[in-house]
Amino acid sequence: MRSRVLGLVALLVLVIAAVNALFVVPSDLNQGDAQRLMYVHVPSAWLAYLSFGVTALAGLGYLWKRDLRLDAVAVSAAEIGVMFTAFAIWAGMMWGQPVWGVFWQWEDPRLTTTALLLALYVGYLLFRRLTDDPHRRAARAAVVGLVSAVDIPIVHFSVEWWRGLHQTATFLSPDTILNPPAPVPFRIALMSMIAAFTLVWAWLMIRRYQLARADMELEERARRSRVAAARHVAIAATPAEEAGR
Amino acid sequence: MPQTTIYSAPPRSPLVPIPGVATHEVARLFGRSAALAGVSLQVERGRMVALLGPNGAGKTTLLRILATSLRPTYGSALVDGIDVAERPELVRRRVAYLSHAAGLYDDLTAAENLRFAAVMLGCSDPADAAASALAAVGLAADADRRVRGLSAGMRRRLALGRLLLARPALLLLDEPYAALDADGIALVDRLIGRWRDDGATVLVASHQAERVTGAADGWARLAGGLLVEVGGAGVSVPAVEPASAPSGTGVPAAGTSR
Amino acid sequence: MRADLAIAWAIARKDALSEVRGRQAVGSTLFFAALVLLLFGFALGPDSRRLAEAAPGLLWLAIVFGGLLTVARLHQLETEDGALDELARYPIERRAIYVGKAVAGGAAMLVLGAVLLPVGAILYGLDLVAAGLALPLTLLLGAIGFAAAGTFYAGVTVRMRAREVMLPLLMLPVVAPLLLAGVKATGAALAGDPFGELAAWLQLLFAFDLVMLVAGAAGYGYLLEE
Repeated sequence: MRSRVLGLVALLVLVIAAVNALFVVPSDLNQGDAQRLMYVHVPSAWLAYLSFGVTALAGLGYLWKRDLRLDAVAVSAAEIGVMFTAFAIWAGMMWGQPVWGVFWQWEDPRLTTTALLLALYVGYLLFRRLTDDPHRRAARAAVVGLVSAVDIPIVHFSVEWWRGLHQTATFLSPDTILNPPAPVPFRIALMSMIAAFTLVWAWLMIRRYQLARADMELEERARRSRVAAARHVAIAATPAEEAGR
Repeated sequence: MPQTTIYSAPPRSPLVPIPGVATHEVARLFGRSAALAGVSLQVERGRMVALLGPNGAGKTTLLRILATSLRPTYGSALVDGIDVAERPELVRRRVAYLSHAAGLYDDLTAAENLRFAAVMLGCSDPADAAASALAAVGLAADADRRVRGLSAGMRRRLALGRLLLARPALLLLDEPYAALDADGIALVDRLIGRWRDDGATVLVASHQAERVTGAADGWARLAGGLLVEVGGAGVSVPAVEPASAPSGTGVPAAGTSR
Repeated sequence: MRADLAIAWAIARKDALSEVRGRQAVGSTLFFAALVLLLFGFALGPDSRRLAEAAPGLLWLAIVFGGLLTVARLHQLETEDGALDELARYPIERRAIYVGKAVAGGAAMLVLGAVLLPVGAILYGLDLVAAGLALPLTLLLGAIGFAAAGTFYAGVTVRMRAREVMLPLLMLPVVAPLLLAGVKATGAALAGDPFGELAAWLQLLFAFDLVMLVAGAAGYGYLLEE
């Protein structure tokens, strides 16, 4: 019930922030309206990192407490993180087309890093599907998620350096919007979009977590009924077994 | 039971720790099929017990759980009072397991395989331990042959030799007579006698009842993942109320989180 | 601790011995990786200047492909006759198993690199001597990092359905920084380090090695339970 209230609040804030970012804030002098894509790209990228951080921490918590509810948090965050990562890449590409003339700008470290992030966590989700036993799955997924998480800073640095260790040229990147020189209305628009997206994220997390738990309960019920069925079958078969001996 | 049990690791075993082996409603699922559906069994220390039953009865699954190779899905198992799921590293020091697969490295020689195992088991003089184990299983002449070239029976002997590198308190033998000739069968019987003289507990799984029940103190019969009967000395069912079985009765209510 | 090292060493020795004796498997991997280098030549040639420019990237891609097969094989060795079960049942630290396998994997990766470098030099017209010691150092750091990550992911996938595809799928995004730094360092070494960036890339490789070794050793213990 409370999650419904949160959902409505998130929706409201999102609408207000979006209307402001789309219609109220003036368009960028250099980039025109394309710059407005940053208002979804930057919050999505932030939430992708937040999600994967949550996945790693929940995994660590599982290894410590051995509580499957933490695994439910981990899988929820990973799925939502993958969604926001894909969204961030899409917005980045849509922005790159008019500004740079290409969808995929290899010199944008953010785009390439995000693509690797997507690959890391799609792998994580696929991997989870291939293990049946809940505790085994949770423990293995936790270590895989943690190794992915410690890899992210290295990926980030390497791609950042790759662009050119000795190069000082600054590109049109999201950094320029967040820099102090950016006009106040731009910054307010971006901050309010980040807040709105984060509220939506929180609502999605709660709903997905509830679903994950319902899923686990269903799985557990199926397992127990399997054992129960095996007991009935075996008990029924016993007399014949005895007779045949 | 508190509602959180389906999310956390199984609760502490209700079994009273005894020397020997004790299991309480131990069950294991592989995907959707239940290989073990709740077995409660108790074997006194120093006894030899035959585990009987047709293929697919759950004998191997039970042995693998006791050997710490498989975690039980439900229930608990103790080896000399130590929970196999909670402290597997302690159980591993006490248990030796002869499995279906010999677990050998094909490109190493027989002696190298045993020397490697001796190092893993912490023998003080691995080469010496390996040599005497090889002699004990009648493979001294084949010490320097690669395992790839050995027959199934010889591989089995080599796997038996590996059991001689440590002095386990519990021996789990899965179809030990498989693939062996008359000589090999006599060897297994001799080794079992030796372990029994040492005071070890011995569990022998076999689908051929006549072969193992002669030497055994007692026997337990499995079918379809359940214990159907026990007999003889040293083996019993630990007393538990039937209501505490994990089977289906304790299905959690849906939507407990709301 | 010393006992752990002795265990790890015994495992590494055992793996190396199996690798050396099971010559066909190692030989096929080396041949496959060299073949990849040849095919890259067809894909990008025959302009030899363009090939020389792309050479560091092609070399490292071949190392990555060959390396995937190598780390997978070192774990396959254990599953052929149920030896992995046996290994997991010994009363030893899981860390020691990881370290032993990673050492064997690192050695195999060094052999792979040592074969591919001269082959690449011949095919793409590279001057290995001029590059000096930076090249073997890059190779060494790359081999350690790949083995550290590869041993962990081979352990993740060894008992899995569809492991042939899951291993590269999980591992390739993780080793992307290694590929990147290896390519950049190799390129810099071959060109005589005109921008003075070689040290930075080697440091990045070193950091990758360290992080993967620590994470792999800590995480490996959770993988073997069934």
